[in-house]
Amino acid sequence: MSEKAVYETFEALFALTDLRQLFRETKPLFNFSEEQKKEIRRILERVRKSLETIEGETLK
Amino acid sequence: MSKICDDIELRAREELFINIHPIQAAGRLTAEAMKAMITYGDGYSTCDWCLAPFRLDKIKRPPIEEFHVELAEFLGMDEVRVVPGARRGFQAVANSLVDKGDVVIVSSLAHYTEFLAVEAAGGVVREVPLNEGNIVTAENTALKIEEVKREMGRLPKLIMIDHFDYQFGNEHDVRDIAKIAKEYDIPFLLNGAYSVGVMPVNGEEIGADFVVGSGHKSFASPAPSGILATTEEWANQVFRTTEMVGDVTGRRFGVKEVEMMGCTLMGSNIIAMMASFPAVRERVKHWDEEVEKINYFAREFLRIEGNEVQSEMPRRHTLTKVDTTGSFDRVARTHKRRGYFFSDELKARKIVGEFAGATKAWKLNTYGLTWEQIKYLAEAFQEIARKYGVLVT
Repeated sequence: MSEKAVYETFEALFALTDLRQLFRETKPLFNFSEEQKKEIRRILERVRKSLETIEGETLK
Repeated sequence: MSKICDDIELRAREELFINIHPIQAAGRLTAEAMKAMITYGDGYSTCDWCLAPFRLDKIKRPPIEEFHVELAEFLGMDEVRVVPGARRGFQAVANSLVDKGDVVIVSSLAHYTEFLAVEAAGGVVREVPLNEGNIVTAENTALKIEEVKREMGRLPKLIMIDHFDYQFGNEHDVRDIAKIAKEYDIPFLLNGAYSVGVMPVNGEEIGADFVVGSGHKSFASPAPSGILATTEEWANQVFRTTEMVGDVTGRRFGVKEVEMMGCTLMGSNIIAMMASFPAVRERVKHWDEEVEKINYFAREFLRIEGNEVQSEMPRRHTLTKVDTTGSFDRVARTHKRRGYFFSDELKARKIVGEFAGATKAWKLNTYGLTWEQIKYLAEAFQEIARKYGVLVT
């Protein structure tokens, strides 16, 4: 396994932290604006990319 | 529900609820600070590149030294140290300036830790009475100085006044009090626990010799964290370094500052403060909007018959003391859940942070809520009032 898996773990945690922040800003109704939905998509894509890298690095 | 481990539950109230807790609002972390907590949580994490002279505020990687310089500029002061909470700032100043029996003037709304700091130093506090609006004025401060001078035959050693107090969130006359302090040549400590980090605060403009701030109250930082800033004139005294020499070993620790006990905020707390700093610098520019939001809320809150705002009006701070004796407390008197009915109703609307069971005088804080959240909050109170037959005009 390369160091990449470790850094991608942090990248995923950071992206999820951004999502956590978005929950804080929209609670308690979570009425996401179009811009916020766009941001959520970006975050989820980032996490997926990190997970793929981690999976490839650790389970190959 | 997820757990951290065994019996430590997950805390997700900031993600799920509108939290109006009076002291929690402005200490909520930024996303950057949360990331700092994830990566720098290990004990001595800030010590990876701690080189000579081996002191926290001199560390260059991560840029802790630079943060200290920028923080001092931000506050309009010459020197700054981070400390484990505002209370440790009061303590450092009191220990440095106050001798046994010395008088320290504080506000009648002073935080208890100001009392403790003075007591630990061997001093005694004398309180400035409030005016009819629950404000500490320069006039009353001058009268108190004269009273102490008359009774003790000497001047107080220090004046410590809260910029905004914790009970009402009222703004006190700190600029004029600073002028009075200067006239009597008494050092003035500004307790900015509720102002530093949420609004622009410039110690030099105010005329403060010391500015104390709270990281966990107003700087989007974890507890404990705080700030002690001072001028060139006082820095050598408050940040004096040790002169102690071991009698057997002859050891000296010359660079370590006595009142700071060497290093102060290590690990994730200092890094989280640093991570929040850019957002804090930006958010203080938008304080007017925070004040606009609390005033909107207060107006809507007062539409409920029997509701009162005990803090000064219009509001100048988001921390606000309210009285619902004439409204929700009337309901509580005959409700089977007594005062807890109110907490139940708020929680059902995803609102937390009120003093559970309290329906007379209690405090709330709206800092950091979006307009959408503020309007939701105001409507929730009115909805509860209507449900129980309390008139909303």
